[in-house]
Amino acid sequence: MKETRMDKRLLIVLYTLAFILLREWLLPVMSLTDTDYLGIFMVFIGLSFLSSLFRVKWWISVPVKGLYILWAVHFVFLKLNFFTTDSLSLLLSDLMSNFSVFANGEWGEITNPFRTILFFVLLWMTAYLIRHWIEVRKSILLFYVMTVVFIAFIDTFSPYSAENAIFRIMVSGLLLVGLLYISRLSEKHHRTLKTGVYAAISLPLLFVVVASSAFASIIPEKDPVWPDPVPFLKSVVQGGQGAGTIMSTSGYDPDDSVLGGPFTPDHTLVFEAKVPSKQYWKIETKSTYTSKGWEQSSRDGNVHSFFPGEPLEDGQTTTPEDKELQPQRAELRILESLPYVAYPYGTTHIDTKQDTVVFHQLFDSEKILATKNNAAHELDTYEIEFNEPKYSMKALRETSMDGFAGDIDFSPYLQLPREVPDRVKELARTITENEESVYDKAKAVERYFRNNGFTYDQKNVPIPSKDEDYVDQFLFDTKRGYCDNFSTSMVVLLRSVDIPARWVKGFAPGESKMNSQRERIYEITNNEAHSWVEAYMPGIGWIPFEPTIGFTNMTSISYDIETSMDDPEAPEMRELEKQEKEKETPIAKAENNPNGPSGFEKAGTWVKSNVWKLVILLSVIAAIVWRIFTLRHKWMPKLLVRVYQKTSGNWDAFDKQYNRLLRQMDRFGIKRSGGMTLSEYAMAVDCHFGGSRMRELTAVYEQGVYGGHIEFHDWPALQEIWEDLIIRSAG
Amino acid sequence: MTHAQMIDKVLANIDKVMIGKRNIAELSVTALLAGGHVLLEDVPGVGKTMMVKALAKSIGASFKRIQFTPDLLPSDVLGVSIYNPRDMEFEFRPGPIVGNIVLADEINRTSPKTQSALLESMEESSVTVDGETLRIPQPFFVMATQNPIEYEGTYPLPEAQLDRFLFKLKMGYPDRLAEVEMLQRAEKAVPIEELESVITLEELRELQMEVAAVKVDATIKRYIVDCAAETRTNPYVYLGVSPRGSLAVMKACQAFALMRGRDYVTPDDVKYLVPFAFGHRIILKPEARYEGITAEEIIDRILTKVNVPIERIQVR
Repeated sequence: MKETRMDKRLLIVLYTLAFILLREWLLPVMSLTDTDYLGIFMVFIGLSFLSSLFRVKWWISVPVKGLYILWAVHFVFLKLNFFTTDSLSLLLSDLMSNFSVFANGEWGEITNPFRTILFFVLLWMTAYLIRHWIEVRKSILLFYVMTVVFIAFIDTFSPYSAENAIFRIMVSGLLLVGLLYISRLSEKHHRTLKTGVYAAISLPLLFVVVASSAFASIIPEKDPVWPDPVPFLKSVVQGGQGAGTIMSTSGYDPDDSVLGGPFTPDHTLVFEAKVPSKQYWKIETKSTYTSKGWEQSSRDGNVHSFFPGEPLEDGQTTTPEDKELQPQRAELRILESLPYVAYPYGTTHIDTKQDTVVFHQLFDSEKILATKNNAAHELDTYEIEFNEPKYSMKALRETSMDGFAGDIDFSPYLQLPREVPDRVKELARTITENEESVYDKAKAVERYFRNNGFTYDQKNVPIPSKDEDYVDQFLFDTKRGYCDNFSTSMVVLLRSVDIPARWVKGFAPGESKMNSQRERIYEITNNEAHSWVEAYMPGIGWIPFEPTIGFTNMTSISYDIETSMDDPEAPEMRELEKQEKEKETPIAKAENNPNGPSGFEKAGTWVKSNVWKLVILLSVIAAIVWRIFTLRHKWMPKLLVRVYQKTSGNWDAFDKQYNRLLRQMDRFGIKRSGGMTLSEYAMAVDCHFGGSRMRELTAVYEQGVYGGHIEFHDWPALQEIWEDLIIRSAG
Repeated sequence: MTHAQMIDKVLANIDKVMIGKRNIAELSVTALLAGGHVLLEDVPGVGKTMMVKALAKSIGASFKRIQFTPDLLPSDVLGVSIYNPRDMEFEFRPGPIVGNIVLADEINRTSPKTQSALLESMEESSVTVDGETLRIPQPFFVMATQNPIEYEGTYPLPEAQLDRFLFKLKMGYPDRLAEVEMLQRAEKAVPIEELESVITLEELRELQMEVAAVKVDATIKRYIVDCAAETRTNPYVYLGVSPRGSLAVMKACQAFALMRGRDYVTPDDVKYLVPFAFGHRIILKPEARYEGITAEEIIDRILTKVNVPIERIQVR
């Protein structure tokens, strides 16, 4: 079909407006997920729109976009401007490893480069959809409505402020919808408008949109009549507070001698941190496990006291590997009582405006507390300078406990009470037996919780009875719990295989919002009170691990592009890891069902437990099938051409082909009423496509149908006409 | 020379004198070939006579003209028996009806008695006077004209009589350019006198035989019958089309297809000819007249409603 294409200048305007709309989707996504590089994604969208604007052939645009994605991933994650063979192979192996992760449904394990690529693909599809909406459907209302709903939702329920965004969306969206409506109208009446006429028709629209939005932006705003419903909604969703009296509330509590039991969330703000990126806020570590909880190690002898601004002792708290890194700064404002200083990993300096304060760094528990006039003092505000530690993957993979004798006495970090049952130790060995390095072993333990039937729960968590071990109960009986369960269990498991480990308390990164100066502020509430694990990597130091389901390990691992240049094994190692991962999963699954029910029962229970997923999957499939069916006028012709390509010139074939063509034309939109003769219809078709091909074909058909002349003189020519018509009808 | 080319020659010949009336000429020739008669309804002076004369001249046929007046008697049309004193017998003198092409001018001006005489002989292709029957030589083609009935001093033809005509046509005024062209031609000479015959009567008879050989597919026959049946159930129609009407359409379609150079009838032929063949065969209810709905409109509606056959009937 000769698609009547819109005027190019008009298309430029339309695509620009769509670009603005799409940008409004990206902005909150970027801001809420702490993703930088908005520009890179915008350039990609621009690229997509340009290629559809200029009708770039797919075999040019697809490779260009693909290359761009590859380059962007390079640029973002490896900070390289150009490709090298090593970087490409590294990326490739990274992607390959993700496919198995994908297949196993371990969504949390997907690496960032792969996520980015997926995001690009999503953008690609969206851009294509918009092209379809603009050029084919000439209706973008759906997208516009979705944008408005999305932004309204984001504005209401997240820290993102869409005050200006909604204005931009209104103006560009209304213009877009209006302009497309005009072109749809003109198409309906089979008139192509000249650009000038088009502009003239759109002038009132432009005027109304601009004037009304300008007016709306200057009139004074009235206070809302109803109170903000959002806090109420939130409280309903999260359940009434203070339901049970025996429940403790979340928050930092120095006493951990008895762990377990339910708790209710407490949204009280503890402190605000102005910091460029998410940080785990560490307060203390504990090393003595009592089978019911944690005790403070008794050896808190070494103290380093310093004044604000002086460097901390480079003890175990900091492990800055890359000294060239620019130090980062964090400003904390404490709102609730907090006995110790919360600090991020890699802290080098702590400063506060109050001069008379002295800081005390306790080496064993890693607490930092402030005193004033020899009395404990709780600071209101303080600043921290820190180098976010980065660990080399290569070094981590070479860690080994064999023959390592550091100058630290590890016995406190390998301590285990007698009450810990043997099955815990056995489990630890099963999990780690296939791993080589200490790091991989620790990672295997960390991963173990993610796919072996553990659930995160704050309510149904028991306190272990007198002769029960806290860890044993969690690992084998309940399998549900919160951070304390996960982290304590991981420490015990690590210690069971002779990896020094300790229990860390502090706060999770919290939720970010923008303050009035458009700086990122993280709000840490009592809910963010958290515990995690540090394991000692020989030759590297203490590294945090995050076993709790739902939390992500924030440790930065560098992929060692420089070192892997002379290390051809690097990709293979990843390969190895992948294989091991694959091995690991079936073992874990077997453990879940030791008595293995019959395949039929398994299927039945699987269907039962996944009924909703199945319903969703089926409805998605149904939707896709329906869409394919409704779009059949697009793909059917190509199929038909294939099917009938080899037909010999007999009447039956021609009869079928002609009737196929009639149906296809009907789907295309040229409808034939019952009282219309074929030649009248052919006339209408020819009017639409130009030429007289349908009439030629129809004459031959009529000869056969009404006259019984079913022999053909020039079959190839007829076939060609037919193919031409049916392909046009797909356009 | 194919049949279509022969017919085309006739049409081209008529075109020499009749300007911008190709469709009427075509329909007239169609009726001639199908062995039917035509009723032309229009105001005087639009070229009805010219058309018939040109047609007659083109096929080299004898041309007779009867001007109908209120006092015309049947015998003036059919002929009379006259006593021949020498033979001592009555001798039949055929009237003007006995000819190949007869122009019955202003047929609605004469009395019903005379009208009936004409129409009966049209139907039978013979003349019966005093018990004696005379076959009218073929081809026999009557083109009757009538002034629109609103005009004074007319005897409207009975509806049953109208059924005898294959087509009722309306000549209409020529369009502006055609009329100017006509005046220009008239300046030089009266061309009708110079018209020569392009086919012989023998060839015409051959063509008439050929019409019967044009194939009418079963689906087409059904289509025609469907259309006719629809006129009988239409709420505005008092009397629908008779089976004779269906037959007439089929014959006309065959002739028309032959003229178009086809040896088969298409639904387009049917759709094209049905208005001319059915228009005078249906009687509308008074409601339709009140609502200003004409027979043409009703036929138009029927034609858009009835499904056109587009596929062969599977013979298996």
